[in-house]
Amino acid sequence: MLEIKNLKAEIEGKKILNGINLVVKPGEVHAIMGPNGAGKSTLSAVLAGRDSYEITAGEVSFNGKDLLEMAPEDRAREGVFLAFQYPVEIPGVSTTNFLKTAINEKRKYQGLEPMEATDFLKFMREKIELMEMDKSLTSRSLNEGFSGGEKKRNEVFQMAMLEPTLAIMDETDSGLDIDALRLVSQGVNKLRNAERSFVVITHYQRLLDYIVPDFVHVLYKGRIVKSGDASLAKELEEKGYDWIKAEVEAATV
Amino acid sequence: MSLQEIIKDDFIAYQQQADGNQSFTNIRKQAFHEFERLGFPTTKHEEWKYTSLKSIIEQPFRNSCEINADAVAMAVHSPLMNIDAHHLVFVNGSFIAEASSLKPLAANVIVKNLATARTEHPEQFDAHFGKYAKVEGAAMNALNTALLCDGAFIYVPAKTQIEKPVIIYHITDSTQFQTLSQPRNLIVLEKQASAQVVEVYLSLGANPSFTNVVNEVYADESAQLEHYKIQQQENDAFQNNFTQVFQEANTNINQVTLTLDGNWTRNNLHFYMNGENCNTLLYGLYLTDGHQFVDNHTRVDHAMPNCYSDEKYKGILKDKSTAVFNGKIMVHLDAQKTNAYQRNQNILLSDEATINTKPQLEIFADDVKCTHGATIGQLDKEAMFYLQSRGITEANATKMLLNAFADDIAERIKIPELVAIMEEKIEQKI
Ligand SMILES: Nc1ncnc2c1ncn2[C@@H]1O[C@H](COP(=O)(O)OP(=O)(O)OP(=O)(O)O)[C@@H](O)[C@H]1O
Ligand SMILES: [Mg+2]
Repeated sequence: MLEIKNLKAEIEGKKILNGINLVVKPGEVHAIMGPNGAGKSTLSAVLAGRDSYEITAGEVSFNGKDLLEMAPEDRAREGVFLAFQYPVEIPGVSTTNFLKTAINEKRKYQGLEPMEATDFLKFMREKIELMEMDKSLTSRSLNEGFSGGEKKRNEVFQMAMLEPTLAIMDETDSGLDIDALRLVSQGVNKLRNAERSFVVITHYQRLLDYIVPDFVHVLYKGRIVKSGDASLAKELEEKGYDWIKAEVEAATV
Repeated sequence: MSLQEIIKDDFIAYQQQADGNQSFTNIRKQAFHEFERLGFPTTKHEEWKYTSLKSIIEQPFRNSCEINADAVAMAVHSPLMNIDAHHLVFVNGSFIAEASSLKPLAANVIVKNLATARTEHPEQFDAHFGKYAKVEGAAMNALNTALLCDGAFIYVPAKTQIEKPVIIYHITDSTQFQTLSQPRNLIVLEKQASAQVVEVYLSLGANPSFTNVVNEVYADESAQLEHYKIQQQENDAFQNNFTQVFQEANTNINQVTLTLDGNWTRNNLHFYMNGENCNTLLYGLYLTDGHQFVDNHTRVDHAMPNCYSDEKYKGILKDKSTAVFNGKIMVHLDAQKTNAYQRNQNILLSDEATINTKPQLEIFADDVKCTHGATIGQLDKEAMFYLQSRGITEANATKMLLNAFADDIAERIKIPELVAIMEEKIEQKI
């Protein structure tokens, strides 16, 4: 479903992604790990369509379509969802109204009628229960004054509402307390199915105990330098990144 | 002939047919002499530094009170006409009884046109007319006072409430020629009286028009007023709108000014707190595009202790439009324990739009809390991307963010139809 070939991106002349190759098939869960500043958030932002990056090479196809050609809203309507590392606070925009607009825009794109107000509320209630969300959050302005953990949970709740086919989760686990981590992971697992794929960016093996990935990749200096199965995450947890960095340096010399 | 000379001829003509009310005629005569003495303000005046009347006074406007059926029809078609309210319609300052409609009123409440009120209720009229909007040193007020046509007179006796809103429509009609229209409204609330008043400004006709308005508001002790101004004049409309609110002790005033259209608009909104424990909220939103020019000059005089004022003006500017905000807060020597807040926030949607913002705090008392702040920014890029990344189009995301920006102004408006007009205009302009 997602095929990234030799993707290179930079910002203000600074090279950040240096040739990413990644194939994600339907239903797969890919974990991406890597040291701070490696380019993980950049990769997710480029996939979601943030326009501050300049794409200098490569291609990305999503269900056969050229993703990089699409406006961010069209990528979302095609089924891409990004759970932000730093969700944005938007005062004055109610969470409910925002979700209704987002869902109906997607439906319009798919040639469907807008959802009736009552159907929408029912659908939202179901998802609130499924995700074990605090209901009062949906009556507030979008992310405004939410705690760090509440923001992350709201991202996963939005994901449940928008039912993407490709969910990219950028450090959704950071800032969550132990219980919230379990709830969020359970929520994600409930959303897992044969068609829906996940790219999970994380620094911690703990999340991957809950959401067991099919593949683990290490991103370093804008490249995927190592890939493996779930055991790679365990190895990283024990040994850190130095051995990988050393391998990379040795290979480039 | 210059506009000033045209005005002189108009005044001579007026004098020849002036009626017998000597005191009213004298007020106007004095006002005319004051206007003659001052002439139109120029950019040399501190208060008019960024606001040039030059392009207006070079045009041959004709002072007019004439009525045109199309203009009447226009008022009737305003969506506000559907509100359960008292409706007063004026075209070029002249009262249109057929288009107006009043609901039953409590005893001794007066909702009339000023000209009728002047003869039928001389006591109330003489006690208040011209007492708050001074003409001395104020050329535009003097001009209005000298040659005003008509307008609304609202009088609410003590302990009385006008339950339904009073909506005043002022339509400037310039279909036949370049019209100078001079409406005048007077609102008087006696002790513990309350009212809700909406002023609506519309225009009709392809010729340029110039509307020079004066509003006087008097609120006696413990009176309450909800006061909304919605300016929707079109392409070639110029408007100078002066409002003086005079507050006695314990009064509550909530004022919102929405400037949604019009080629050139200058608003002067002044409050004078003449007693303790007054509460004044003044909020405003201006939406400008094209070559529009909007100037909001406000002045709050804290003359007595323990009063509170909260001011917030927000602007959304597009294209090559220009806005001015000048907020003066005067805390007089005796006005201890004053709380005065002021904010002016602007979103510029284009590089070519200009905002001049200037807070002016003059504080002569020592135990006061005053804050002010101004911001100028663009639409938040992060917020835009966040919304778009959820499938919301750029246009809808922009609309959502601008409505959110305008939200705290909308919250101050208790008539949902006005908020709907505002939001529709935001959508239309972006
Ligand atoms: N707008 C920007 N301007 C300049 N540099 C940027 C910008 N955005 C990202 N970078 C740089 O690109 C590099 C990669 O950043 P990115 O946020 O993708 O890292 P990351 O792998 O997500 O790190 P972390 O684990 O800390 O979240 C960093 O060195 C960062 O400073
Ligand atoms: Mg990151």
